[in-house]
Amino acid sequence: MQRGGEGEEEEEDGEDDGGPESALQKSPFQLTAEDVYDISSVVGRDLLQLSAGPEVPAAAARLQFSMVRVLEMLEALVSEGSLTEEQLRMERDSLRAELEALRGRAAAGSAQQPNLGPDKMVIDLTDPNRPRFTLQELRDVLQERNQLKAQLLVVQEELQCYKSGIISQRKDQAKELEKEPCDSNPSTSKDSHEKTIIKRLFSFKHGK
Amino acid sequence: CASALLPSNPNYPFSLTRWYTPEACLQFKDHFHAQLRTACQQSTGTTGLKISKVVVVGDVYVGKTSLIHRFCKDRFERDYKATIGVDFEIERFEIVGIPYNLQIWDTAGQEKFKCIASAYYRGAEVIITVFDLADIQTLDHTKQWLEDALRENEANSIFIFLVGTKKDLVSDAVCERTELDAIRFANDMQAEYWSVSAKTGENVKEFFSRVAALAFEQSMIRELEKTTGHMAQIGTGNLIRMLSFACLYFAFL
Repeated sequence: MQRGGEGEEEEEDGEDDGGPESALQKSPFQLTAEDVYDISSVVGRDLLQLSAGPEVPAAAARLQFSMVRVLEMLEALVSEGSLTEEQLRMERDSLRAELEALRGRAAAGSAQQPNLGPDKMVIDLTDPNRPRFTLQELRDVLQERNQLKAQLLVVQEELQCYKSGIISQRKDQAKELEKEPCDSNPSTSKDSHEKTIIKRLFSFKHGK
Repeated sequence: CASALLPSNPNYPFSLTRWYTPEACLQFKDHFHAQLRTACQQSTGTTGLKISKVVVVGDVYVGKTSLIHRFCKDRFERDYKATIGVDFEIERFEIVGIPYNLQIWDTAGQEKFKCIASAYYRGAEVIITVFDLADIQTLDHTKQWLEDALRENEANSIFIFLVGTKKDLVSDAVCERTELDAIRFANDMQAEYWSVSAKTGENVKEFFSRVAALAFEQSMIRELEKTTGHMAQIGTGNLIRMLSFACLYFAFL
């Protein structure tokens, strides 16, 4: 019976070296359910011997060994399990705290900008290059710049006229201009130069 | 802005600067309108200075500011600086001896400034839509730019130009190929096409002279029509005053 049982176990666990007893030698952290069944079969066999078999003392000794070994394994597993449990609990607590913090921040954020929609923007108030002027202010500044630039152009033109000494005589020349007959005789180059200056004066006079 | 004399032949003072390509140009005439010539030959007196508004639009970084600066200041800045909102230059011309100014509005290409720049589209007599010859996508966007600019104006009285910039950056072969596309666009937009380079200055003066000549002629003719319309009611005194710019032409020949 014992031999037969052993033979069956060996067939089932072909890869194991020492039959069902070898399960007791394994590290408790590598035990599988199969190993537990092996241990149970070993213990069961010895219990059978204890009640009915001829080898009572031997069976009792083996049972004692098995019990001690099983209890050792149980101890190792329990302490390992409680260690793991402790680790997991700590991990869970820290994740829970992180989640709370994120939730709190999200709540604070949505409290500040309650209608933050897809077209809204969050502005970092510590960013020196953050947007801070309105479109209307930019429009006004541009308008002012354009006006100043136009004035500058007029002043430059006026300065040019003073430099070339025209402006003091401009009234007289403008009168001459009006009197000038409209004929199509081509002028000499010297004439046309003088007239170019007058013309520039003219464009200034009617500038703005 | 330095004064610029329109390079018109003194022997043919009424001649117009020529178009860039006959396949996309606004008019084929070599000379100013006969009505204008007659008016210039008949009138006496003085007149106010003529100013036409030019609006330059186009994608960001196509070179609108560079183009205008090359023409108005004869300068080319290598470093890119985005235009904020809108800027302007005034360029003085003398066309057939008559003082004439172009007020050139340089708008920002950046989307975020569009709401500011578009406020300056109104009252344009010329719209220049600019694209980058080296970036074909910018050509695709010119129609949208033009549409936006036209929305603020009466389309029938505006000269439209399509300008390809950075000609120096593309090979002649690429330029020719892109020009074929651009001319197709120009025809759809009823625009006159020009290829230019602000960096080398190629065609820049010619282009703006063309702009000035066409705008000048149109604004003079419009003035004439307006005066003729009013003549029956207010007599010829006004006509003589309005047409007096012509006197200047003869005085400064």
